[in-house]
Amino acid sequence: MITRDSRERRIQDVDHGDHLCLTFADDAERRRVVTAYVRDGLERGERVLYFADQSAVPEVLGWLRAAGVRTAPALAGGQLLVTTAEDGYLAAGAFDPDAMVATLVKETRDSLAAGYTGLRVSGEMGWALRGVPGGERLGEYETKVNQVFADSPASAVCQYDARRFDAAQLDDFDRRHPRAVELEPLYSDGLLRLVPSFRSGRWTLRVTGTVDYRTVDALAAAMESALDWPGDVWVDMSELEFIDLAGVRVLAHVAERLPEGRRVHVANLAPLLCQVVGLVGWDEEPSLIVTPREVTA
Amino acid sequence: MTGVTEARAARPETEPGLVHQGLVYGSDDEFLAATVPFCLDGLDREDAVLAVTTDANIDLLRQALGDAAGRVEFVRAEEWYQAPGRTLGAYHRYVDRRTGTGRHRRVRVIGEPVWHGRDALETAEWTRYESVINIAFADCPAWIVCPYDTRTLPERVVADARRTHPQLVAGPAAHASDHYAAPNRAWERRLTPAPADGEEARMSFGTDLSKVRVFVAEAAAARGMAPAGVQRLVFAANEVATNAVQHGGGGGQVAVWRSGRRIVCDVTDPGRAAAPSWYLGYLPPDPRQERGHGLWAVRQLCDLVEIDARPDGTTVRLHLNLT
Repeated sequence: MITRDSRERRIQDVDHGDHLCLTFADDAERRRVVTAYVRDGLERGERVLYFADQSAVPEVLGWLRAAGVRTAPALAGGQLLVTTAEDGYLAAGAFDPDAMVATLVKETRDSLAAGYTGLRVSGEMGWALRGVPGGERLGEYETKVNQVFADSPASAVCQYDARRFDAAQLDDFDRRHPRAVELEPLYSDGLLRLVPSFRSGRWTLRVTGTVDYRTVDALAAAMESALDWPGDVWVDMSELEFIDLAGVRVLAHVAERLPEGRRVHVANLAPLLCQVVGLVGWDEEPSLIVTPREVTA
Repeated sequence: MTGVTEARAARPETEPGLVHQGLVYGSDDEFLAATVPFCLDGLDREDAVLAVTTDANIDLLRQALGDAAGRVEFVRAEEWYQAPGRTLGAYHRYVDRRTGTGRHRRVRVIGEPVWHGRDALETAEWTRYESVINIAFADCPAWIVCPYDTRTLPERVVADARRTHPQLVAGPAAHASDHYAAPNRAWERRLTPAPADGEEARMSFGTDLSKVRVFVAEAAAARGMAPAGVQRLVFAANEVATNAVQHGGGGGQVAVWRSGRRIVCDVTDPGRAAAPSWYLGYLPPDPRQERGHGLWAVRQLCDLVEIDARPDGTTVRLHLNLT
């Protein structure tokens, strides 16, 4: 039985009241999330506002059409608005968190008055890096806007490109959102889910469920993908139910093959399994750092 | 000191492999006559010296060695000899750490196993442990002397010491043991009877080992095992069952029962092609190796492990103490 982490939410499960952070480093991943979010909103009769920045407006519309979303009637009837951040967040020439919060409150109210079931907002946040006046107040805005969404039939997905924002910035913005969008699992079946996530300023592979001889190859493949992430490789075992020796060996082998200076951090491993790592001598591998799960009495 | 030279002559300095000797002694003087020169000679040669023995013998040795005692590592036997697999692991780590840095070319060990208070199964397994030392450390630069006190030990234990040690020390001299039996089929035996207290739980398993894990966890907990022990048993049983599924008959049976102060778990694989040796999992794994860590970890996690290979299948019996 796989239980889901409460902070991360699959895009198809987004509901009224959600304010989610999407930290992505892959355009296909971003496109998948955005498309699902907009399409679901339109299908549920919500009004959808999209603020493009790095992408051009026609490009976003292109993604939607390619996914089978009938954009023309939605655009014509006003259910869908795809515009730019310049014309949205920055329409006044500078960024003013309070004005933007007021705008969102008004947009939500107007959407309901126009007969929509709610409001969805998604914005590409790269404009904050261009030195626009007020841009430094983005963090303040992300905190303030939580109240707008918390108790209203509205939701938002804020997009942060991990290739442009640095890790400290990403961590700060991520923490200001009550939830984060769960990225597409690298592997998922009834036994095991392997989900990349951006947490505490670093990319982490979250391992949920069971690793035994039936799923160990999936873990090995996911660890291969994780090698492409920048810096150290973090593996979060807090939702691990069981891992066998072959699974632990996968982690040790990846660590062994890392280039000088990079390490594999296996966090929140059950104390018994930390012991197993030592029994078999993998604790001698300097690039494998294992930290035990806090035992709650 | 002629005997010490004789012993070394059997293993020339150019081949620093294992020397494994039994020291059968009947008095404090006999114990010291062998162990004091062993330690002093070792320290002279910059060997690492470890003495694992009784409290009384630690006191005797410390006094006899005087200042040199500060350079010998002393460990109480009760702390060191807790479970054969773990003790072997501890010795391996000791040898690796002392010789790995290049500071010591060789380690010398006085290793006096604990026989007092052992039941028949433990006595048999510790005897096999003494035998397995001969192959587990065959290529290690280790010189191990195992004292056996005839004043306190049953005659049979002393007789077995002459079978498990290739050489015997008498005073400062050493000679080949006439009774030595190499660690091969001579040490094979059937499973030691482990009568069940209460009901035995049994199931057949196929490819879904999550069922085995749940079954073993519930059966062990229902028989009084604490959560930490349950986790160890589940991990160990899963490793053995994985072998059965992947390299044996594709499934098997698992049985769990309580026998005295232990939980016993049999994993039986009816279809193994090649019968494993009784000492499988005692030889240390190479961390870089693809396979073969499973039974090593199993022996480290369990208190005793028996492997019984028959033509109609293999049973790996795991014993975990309840406390």
